[in-house]
Amino acid sequence: MANPTVRVGDVVPTGTFWYVPYTPETDDLAACGVPTKISTDAWKGKKVVLISVPGAFTPTCHANHLPPYIQKYDEFKAKGVDQIAVVTANDAFVMSGWGKALGFKDKTFPQILPLSDPTAAWTSQLGLSVDLSKANELGLGLRTSRFALILDDLKITYLGVEPARGVTVSGADAVLAAL
Amino acid sequence: MANPTVRVGDVVPTGTFWYVPYTPETDDLAACGVPTKISTDAWKGKKVVLISVPGAFTPTCHANHLPPYIQKYDEFKAKGVDQIAVVTANDAFVMSGWGKALGFKDKSQLTETFPQILPLSDPTAAWTSQLGLSVDLSKANELGLGLRTSRFALILDDLKITYLGVEPARGVTVSGADAVLAAL
Repeated sequence: MANPTVRVGDVVPTGTFWYVPYTPETDDLAACGVPTKISTDAWKGKKVVLISVPGAFTPTCHANHLPPYIQKYDEFKAKGVDQIAVVTANDAFVMSGWGKALGFKDKTFPQILPLSDPTAAWTSQLGLSVDLSKANELGLGLRTSRFALILDDLKITYLGVEPARGVTVSGADAVLAAL
Repeated sequence: MANPTVRVGDVVPTGTFWYVPYTPETDDLAACGVPTKISTDAWKGKKVVLISVPGAFTPTCHANHLPPYIQKYDEFKAKGVDQIAVVTANDAFVMSGWGKALGFKDKSQLTETFPQILPLSDPTAAWTSQLGLSVDLSKANELGLGLRTSRFALILDDLKITYLGVEPARGVTVSGADAVLAAL
């Protein structure tokens, strides 16, 4: 299990992620887009929910963790959330494909940004990466652990790190209750 | 570009891949499956087409490279191909999701009219490196792509390479469905 080195009240370190912005032209699962960078600076002055999972398309299962965030998107907006994002150590292309598969879209639909934190660089600064290299030979490597946090102007106001398999403190209901 | 250390006539090194077998229960994109290993030994005595791309969901684009293999699946079967597989260095879960997104299915599909393309994971490009066919994309950009499998296709007959098409640049030519069909 990850050992966070940050706590509620801390300001998160500055970080840069990659993602493929949604466009109607690239909405089809077979179409690709162009990855671009986004910095945590984009979240200054905003209320952000950031979810992290060990990998795209992986169990717990991704049927259990992300879809409630999509279904309850309006509830998050009603509580003043400006942005919901999900991050893994997968590359930006995989995150884009996964996002499309799960039904993320841009502004007119649930606006969940699928972010790539290559080599879990930023997440490691929070003590929230997990080394899955030795767990098996699947080649999963260094990954981001399963957690959710609420940022208010880059300050952590909620940090829910899953202690074991399953979705509890990092799930949509737990985060909504904390907003 | 990759510099292959194997050539037509060579027997490929033994290798192990991971993949998530298709089942009707896990057909939905939101469902996961259980990764399992498969060895190149499974291809003994068989005719196999193995395609490799740098990553799932990436340009050239995956709209251009894999779909023709799916569309022309029957032509491959008619030429005696026992198995078509695609390999990348992505993990088995990503390969499974990508396969579902592109429409790969397994033999247990209700009819044989659906393509049987195995989505294989070669973690850290370990096996592909033994062929001199991995490519280090770590420095190319900050995307974090790392060591990947290059873009190629090969035909194996009882584990011996009978065709090797390594793409020299962007685009799909010698590793594409038409080129491989012509070589069968």
